[in-house]
Amino acid sequence: MNGKDNSKLLHDLRSKCASLKSAAELYKDCSPAEKKEMLALMNAAAADIARLLAQLGQP
Amino acid sequence: MNKLHILVLEDDKLAQKVMAAQLAAHSVEVAGDLPTALKKIAGGAYDMGFFDLMLGPDDDYSGLKAIAAAAARGLYCVVVSSSDSDEIIDRAYELGARDFYAKGNEESNVADILRKFIQNRKAAGAADIFTSAFITCDPETRAAAGEALKYAPTELPIMILGPSGTGKTSLAKILHEHSGRDGAFVSINCSAYTEDLLEAELFGHKKGAFTGAAEARKGRLLEAHRGTLFLDEIGTMSLTMQMKLLKAIEERSFYPLGSEKPERSDFRIISATLEDPQDLIARGKMRFDLFQRVHGYTINIKPLSRRACDVAPLLQHFTKNGRRLSFTQEAKAYMEAYSWPGNVRELKKFTDLLSSGVEGRVDLETVQRHLKGRPAETAACAGDDGLYAYALAHGLEAALDKVSGDLITRSLRENGGRRTKTMADLKISTRLLYATLKRLGLDGEGEHK
Repeated sequence: MNGKDNSKLLHDLRSKCASLKSAAELYKDCSPAEKKEMLALMNAAAADIARLLAQLGQP
Repeated sequence: MNKLHILVLEDDKLAQKVMAAQLAAHSVEVAGDLPTALKKIAGGAYDMGFFDLMLGPDDDYSGLKAIAAAAARGLYCVVVSSSDSDEIIDRAYELGARDFYAKGNEESNVADILRKFIQNRKAAGAADIFTSAFITCDPETRAAAGEALKYAPTELPIMILGPSGTGKTSLAKILHEHSGRDGAFVSINCSAYTEDLLEAELFGHKKGAFTGAAEARKGRLLEAHRGTLFLDEIGTMSLTMQMKLLKAIEERSFYPLGSEKPERSDFRIISATLEDPQDLIARGKMRFDLFQRVHGYTINIKPLSRRACDVAPLLQHFTKNGRRLSFTQEAKAYMEAYSWPGNVRELKKFTDLLSSGVEGRVDLETVQRHLKGRPAETAACAGDDGLYAYALAHGLEAALDKVSGDLITRSLRENGGRRTKTMADLKISTRLLYATLKRLGLDGEGEHK
């Protein structure tokens, strides 16, 4: 994996983590219906983060 | 709080959700990719935009292209991105971004950005308006216009009173621009149409609705959807038309001519008249219920002769992109004392005449030649000696009648014929006003019959 690809991966990782952090801050104020929707999106973001971390760890 | 129309360019679903929650008090549209964003920017009227830069895993900062397009349309562009290298930050600012924030602190950052934007816009609006859009340095006029601006972002109808040529349409447009409404400013001069034509113009018509209606046409009410409908010279509208308009205002729906299908329109009314609405109601020329609907806040614009300090700044404004003019002291004094019966419109025409037809410095003789035949107020005061001679010749009572007659006709002229305003300004009774008008053989507006 070259440096350019690495920097894109890191960018995506930062972006997903930032969104997850902001969503976690908002979560407590959401209505039950919004919480359900938010949780699904947060799970998807977490899965993306795990995938990106796996890619980053590949030689 | 002002409701803003905001565009968010963000490809990530969770980030979209976060931004939508932070901007919930405003009207928000989300674009998930560059083509959608460019289309929205080209067709929308946004106050500001929040832009992500990398739109997808293999994207090459295409969000920058949206910033360039949005900045060109006058949007306040804010970058919220995880791409925070100096090179990208510089590039974003070069393309027109106004703020750049790293992702991750939306809760505090977005609130700060909005607060700053709204405050700056308010400050800029208040400071610039009187030097760029509605030129005046008259404290009373500034205060009145400033007060009216406070009501611009509300749904309250506004009525603008003032003689012809004082800038009522300009002010109405400014109020619309400060309203936050994303629809168009649609203006119609009610006095320019017959009753039938005005109805077709306001409500629109179907093809073949009447002779000459070769094509269907959208009316002004529909054009003003989510915007402002400016009804100039509303007092000239027939009572029948007033009733139809009132119904459309109350129900927010109307039938185009020849149509059985109602149209809906969310328009805000700003109206203007050069006559006193109370006087129009008293004379049966205006329906009281329509007046109640259109006069939420009323602003009165003084004639130019009563804000002489505005003559020089207006001259400067009219010539700022063309030939600049210079006046002798006598010429300036004459212009400031002149009655300007055509108000700002007359001053503009006068400036155009001088700009294209006069060489060198403008002197008193040139000014008098162009303003010839119109009463300079200095003549009225010329004065004391003349009045004394008149009194000696005709008696004191006749001289006093002459003075009161001159003052009343001047006030009527400056108030656009509004008798109640003249009575209030001069603190005189109805009886004295009408007796003076009758004695001088004048009509209700101070003009000779």
